[in-house]
Amino acid sequence: MVQNMQTKRLFERIDSIKLKGVTKKYDSVYAVKDLDLEIYGGELLILIGPSGSGKTTTLRMINRMIEQDSGSVTINDIDTKDVDPVRLRRNIGYVIQNIGLFPHMTIGENIGLVPKIEGWNKKEIKYKVKELLAFVSLSPDMFMDRYPKQLSGGQQQRVGLARAMAMDPPLFLMDEPFGALDPILRKQLQKEFLKVKSEINRTIVFVTHDIEEALILGDRIAIMDQAELVQVGAPEELIFNPANEMVADIVDNQRKFKHMDTLKVKDLMSQYDDEYTFEASMKSFDAIEEMTKRDLENAFVFDGHELLGQITMVNLMKCRLSDKRIMDVAGPVKVFHPYDSVAFALSELKRSGETLGLVINSKRPVGILVSDEVLLKLI
Amino acid sequence: MVGLDIILNATWDHIILVYTTLLISIIVSIPLAFVSLYSQKLEFIVMKFVNLVQAVPSFAVVAIMVPLIGIGFKPAVVAIMLRALLPIVKNTYIGLKNVDPALIDYAEGVGLSQWHINRYIRLPNAYPAMFAGIKFAGILANSIAVLTAFIGSGGLGEIIFQGLIGYNTSTLLAGAIPAIMLAILIDRTFTILERKVTPGYGHIKG
Repeated sequence: MVQNMQTKRLFERIDSIKLKGVTKKYDSVYAVKDLDLEIYGGELLILIGPSGSGKTTTLRMINRMIEQDSGSVTINDIDTKDVDPVRLRRNIGYVIQNIGLFPHMTIGENIGLVPKIEGWNKKEIKYKVKELLAFVSLSPDMFMDRYPKQLSGGQQQRVGLARAMAMDPPLFLMDEPFGALDPILRKQLQKEFLKVKSEINRTIVFVTHDIEEALILGDRIAIMDQAELVQVGAPEELIFNPANEMVADIVDNQRKFKHMDTLKVKDLMSQYDDEYTFEASMKSFDAIEEMTKRDLENAFVFDGHELLGQITMVNLMKCRLSDKRIMDVAGPVKVFHPYDSVAFALSELKRSGETLGLVINSKRPVGILVSDEVLLKLI
Repeated sequence: MVGLDIILNATWDHIILVYTTLLISIIVSIPLAFVSLYSQKLEFIVMKFVNLVQAVPSFAVVAIMVPLIGIGFKPAVVAIMLRALLPIVKNTYIGLKNVDPALIDYAEGVGLSQWHINRYIRLPNAYPAMFAGIKFAGILANSIAVLTAFIGSGGLGEIIFQGLIGYNTSTLLAGAIPAIMLAILIDRTFTILERKVTPGYGHIKG
């Protein structure tokens, strides 16, 4: 069939994406107004701004999901207007907030859909799917044949990322990919994403409205307001030389300086929830199921009131011996008291290479201290 | 009393008539549903036509075939088909139309063509509604196929009418009971087919 002909790749790598004088109007309202922006090959550029500022419109004009009224978008000096949009999009990984996994297809079919349309054979597709699932820390054998709604939000998000990588695109467009997740899971995935980013080394345009996320992930940040680009630069540039009040506001307000040594662990921890507690005798396999159901990446193993350690989804997945009890696979966990100083707690965490610690008060868990979160609350 | 061979023959004729008509109806309806999806004007015309045909009483549709195309198997097929179109066209159209727009948007975003979107996203999502329509059309076809015995299509209607005319209850039942069983059979056939083609049937329903 003609439809299944393999599409020739438009570009193997991105040298630069240039938006020149790009304007998009809906009726008489500007969605994006006279935007000039260059995205360098290999960087992660954040588009940030209040809702209605034009960031998503800008993103969607890059893969022609929205056509600009005037101005031009060029990728490696090829005008996107001269390229078939279907072909253009096959060269671009696309990840959105609500993930967009097709509910009637298994995880494997979701990831393998575009390769299938591109005419790969079954064996190649299966191999690729397995490779990608493993890459995003999901056990291929366990997840390949499941349907999206049998997965937790975090797992679906990982599948969304794996799917975007199926054609090994040199460019990714991401529209608030972590937007729908709860804060702890979000931090976890952001951290993993950073790792992924350094491994795949691709150009990424990333829309968010969360300045913390922007500061963690972005090489450069483009701030938009009322359909216009206000300032673009590295995080430090925006902090030290904000172009106007609005930029200063976005960047600074969230970064109030606080005195670290006067702060106690209890001021910066996240509230503990009983759903993080897992019984020591539970089987690893059941723990994975349960964590999936509760949408957790980390959990703590207790034998009655005695803390035995922590388990993480990634580690459970790696140890394939599913009938092991979780008390045998639990790793060490740092424990703090609510009145320990934050400075002490942070240096302890850093020394042991952990990212989170459990806060215990008179033998009961009361909170979780996530180091990234603490740092961001501090700066 | 009617002989078993006569009942079996009539049942067979009935089955052939119903399934032939249903098959043709499906082949005609699904493209019509797709066409309606892409043009509002065509959607208007298609829906008006199938609604109009539906509004005419079944017996009138059957009767009107005689002056138009005569009697026998073919006019019967046309008469039944006209009645069976609506549920299939309408349900398929609704199924195709009611796919979450975010999914379509996403599918476009990853570079699926319209053809692929229809093939891989819209059609599978429309299966439940489509099969509900086909099942309904099948049961409708089964009952109208009884009426078409009047215009010489053969089938179980012949036995039923004999029973009616002769006030013979056992003859009447000899035609009516297989007809009822056929209705159940049609429903089952398509339920099984639906499970076969609908991906992850159990999960999606659940």
